[in-house]
Amino acid sequence: MKNLPNLLPSTRREFLRFSAKGIGLLAFTHYAPSFLVSSARAQIPAPGRDQPILVLVQLAGGNDGLNTVIPYADDHYHRLRPTLGIKEANVLKLDEHAGFNPACAGLHRLAQDGKLAILQNVGYPNPDRSHFRSTDIWETGSASDQYLTTGFIGRYFDNSCAGAPANADPLGVHLTAEVPETFFAEKDHATFGLSDRGGRRQRQQNLALLEKILHRPAGDDENANAGYLRHTMMDALVTEQKVQRVIADYRAGAEYPHTPFAQELRNVASLIAGGFSTRVYFVSLGSFDTHVNQFDRQNKLLQTLGDGLAAFQKDLAAHRLEENVLAMTFSEFGRRPMENDGKGTDHGTSAPLFIMGSRVKGGLHGAAPNLNLARNQDLTYGIDFRQVYATVIDRWLQGNSTAVLGQKYAPLDFIA
Amino acid sequence: MKLDYSPEQAWQPLPAAAWDAAAARHLLRRAGWSASPDEVTRVLRDGLAPTLDRLFPRQPAAMPVPKSVADFRSEAADYRRKIRQAPREQRRDLKRDFQQQARDALGDLTLVWMQFSLHPDRAAYEKWVSFLGNVYVVSANKVRDPAMLYEHQALLRAGGTGPAPKLTKGVLRSPAMIQYLDLQQNRLGAPNENFGRELMELFTLGVGHYTENDVKQGSRAFTGYRQRDGAFEFAPRQHDGSAKTFLGHTGHFDGDQAIDVIYQQPAAGTRLPALMARFYLSDEPLPDPHLAALGDWWRATGFDLHQLCLRWFSSRLFFDPQFRGIAIKSPQQYYLGLLQDLGLDLAPLPRRVLPALRQMGQPLYTPPNVRGWVGGREWINSATLDARRALVGVLFTPLNENRLNADEQRALARARAAGVTGFSFTDDRFKKLLPLTDAEVTTALCDFLLPVHVAPDYRAAITQFLAQGDAARRLARIRNAAITLLGSPEYQLC
Repeated sequence: MKNLPNLLPSTRREFLRFSAKGIGLLAFTHYAPSFLVSSARAQIPAPGRDQPILVLVQLAGGNDGLNTVIPYADDHYHRLRPTLGIKEANVLKLDEHAGFNPACAGLHRLAQDGKLAILQNVGYPNPDRSHFRSTDIWETGSASDQYLTTGFIGRYFDNSCAGAPANADPLGVHLTAEVPETFFAEKDHATFGLSDRGGRRQRQQNLALLEKILHRPAGDDENANAGYLRHTMMDALVTEQKVQRVIADYRAGAEYPHTPFAQELRNVASLIAGGFSTRVYFVSLGSFDTHVNQFDRQNKLLQTLGDGLAAFQKDLAAHRLEENVLAMTFSEFGRRPMENDGKGTDHGTSAPLFIMGSRVKGGLHGAAPNLNLARNQDLTYGIDFRQVYATVIDRWLQGNSTAVLGQKYAPLDFIA
Repeated sequence: MKLDYSPEQAWQPLPAAAWDAAAARHLLRRAGWSASPDEVTRVLRDGLAPTLDRLFPRQPAAMPVPKSVADFRSEAADYRRKIRQAPREQRRDLKRDFQQQARDALGDLTLVWMQFSLHPDRAAYEKWVSFLGNVYVVSANKVRDPAMLYEHQALLRAGGTGPAPKLTKGVLRSPAMIQYLDLQQNRLGAPNENFGRELMELFTLGVGHYTENDVKQGSRAFTGYRQRDGAFEFAPRQHDGSAKTFLGHTGHFDGDQAIDVIYQQPAAGTRLPALMARFYLSDEPLPDPHLAALGDWWRATGFDLHQLCLRWFSSRLFFDPQFRGIAIKSPQQYYLGLLQDLGLDLAPLPRRVLPALRQMGQPLYTPPNVRGWVGGREWINSATLDARRALVGVLFTPLNENRLNADEQRALARARAAGVTGFSFTDDRFKKLLPLTDAEVTTALCDFLLPVHVAPDYRAAITQFLAQGDAARRLARIRNAAITLLGSPEYQLC
């Protein structure tokens, strides 16, 4: 075997330099127009570090909004929630009507610091109570009777980020096993999955072997498609290496809880601080599908959520990155106002949504839900989630919400 | 592309001396999904001609209608009437339920087809049906009726062994096509040219072999062909029966006669073979004289599709070594080939199967546009490659049955009762490799799974990997080597 470096080149530039020296990979240059194009572009600076970044936080399974932001002054709440209801004395108050579940200390602190906007009663017309279909609706930004094959973030990429240099960092990074539907786009954009829950060591071993397989001189008889595949995979692995290195070298400016969710946010922070030009990160926390014995389960999840987000925000502040980042939660639906016989709640409709960042207008936005409801009746939304998207796209990501969402939605006032 | 033989020689049968294991693997991977050792042994024993008779039967098996598709078909007309008559508020809910039912049935159709085509005896013909579906394209994005999509595919399956003009005439009456290419709106005095144009541009002739005027004139012949509730209807009063001059012929053509006129064009003989070359052989087009030679012969058979398949897949040109191991697998082939290579069954779980296809870039029945999937390098980018590697990981991970919902548990129980059980790969399947040396295991994995002869250092890397660590973990190392190999660039080829 020839004397090859053991590891992949750690940057695109190094990769090119290796190649220029004729080591290893470049036996396939005969096919490589896209590669040469991107090397010509390597001189173009990556999109600036100061571009706004969005972190999407999915609360998978349908978070019960009424036991997250508690309308403690509303008698109907206590009527509908005889066992699950939270007593006024325990509520972390936001104003004289509403306050947080005591498990949301992290979120409450963020709100007190003016870094958390609480959008009340967010939903959409003719809500769908299927987990999968409603998740589709939220991720694509469609109407409830409309089926879209692209996500609202994907369309934002199509619309505002096309033509990014081919050697730039991925536009979207997801910390989930599957590519989130919201990243699906018409055009090709680099996205990257960073999922290391479980099997990490094995994955590392396999990666090392894959690298060896990739990183060898191409035979003279290697066909053009084989070269193309090798190059594309190499490219993906170079990104993976860079990501792993940035994460390993990161010194966080805050103590993160030892939950997988918080560790994922730590990884997001490390990539942001590492200067990745990625515009959107996608993190998921679940499962909020609390049909029985909701109380402890949801409390634990809410605490994980609040403590994780609080640590993330503190970390960003320590790295002076607060101004660049906005985080937004969403869940496919809220849950039914009336608790069920199993001390749980069934699939419902609207719920509060949180926007976190140093540039938000903190506190409650929109009207509290009307709880004067009959048995098993559902909430009617006050804010359409596409209004929230439109505001984030136009006022934060500097995109064009009409193009992304297909129509104009009345903006909201939660960004300072 | 450089071919060492004349256009006439190209389509002669492969000389018997050249029929060997490598040729057999090439045939099995290109005509079907994979080349498992058992199948290779079988076709070598049977010989090329009998194998092709088996893979491309004159009377191919019909695929059963998935139950949800049948239910949809029997309820669709009723549903549509209900929606029309319902008050506005209710209409939306009804429509949504209806659409959801359609989507669920479409998912079932995908699963049932994959299951059906996984069988080695059916793989080649069902791949041919896929090819025809990528020529006579319809898409679930516009045709939201899984029963129509099923019928369209059934039409291609039944007609895929007969004369091409007859199949095209069938497609003219396919409710899915009528809806997809707006034939419904093609009326006397107000022609909609969508069908007429795509028929010539994509299905039969190709750009440059007809004029704008041919599109205008020809489209008049296709007026009055429509569907109602998924059934074909001819509306004589919407049909333009007056004289047209079309592709150099003048007459009172109806749709069938117009199609006959199209098949008199020389380009009709080469269009489908050119598309076959792209689908089955190479991204690079075949030389015109070679295509023309096949086209002339094919025309003389009356455009017989069955004979075309037999000739194509037994030809010297098809087996030319320069075409071996150079094609990029489609996601559909990657998925089905993986299952065959690993000896697995398809899990009857839409949530596991459908997202993988979508993430690899090929949600079945939903091609991006009327041109169909372009294929080749278009399949590959860092996200789709990652999705392919993720699928390998999924197939090596036991099902987490606690996370299945009630429908899925039922589907799984039904499948198990029917003896379909192997949904993920377990280490013990590698046990027969344990007695082998590391180098022998490497050879077994590479020769069995990879379509290309890999260089010595590729093999050396795997052998070294297998040699690391303690003996107790050897099975796990073999598994990990296989996982890596199945995700490697070489396995993406066929």
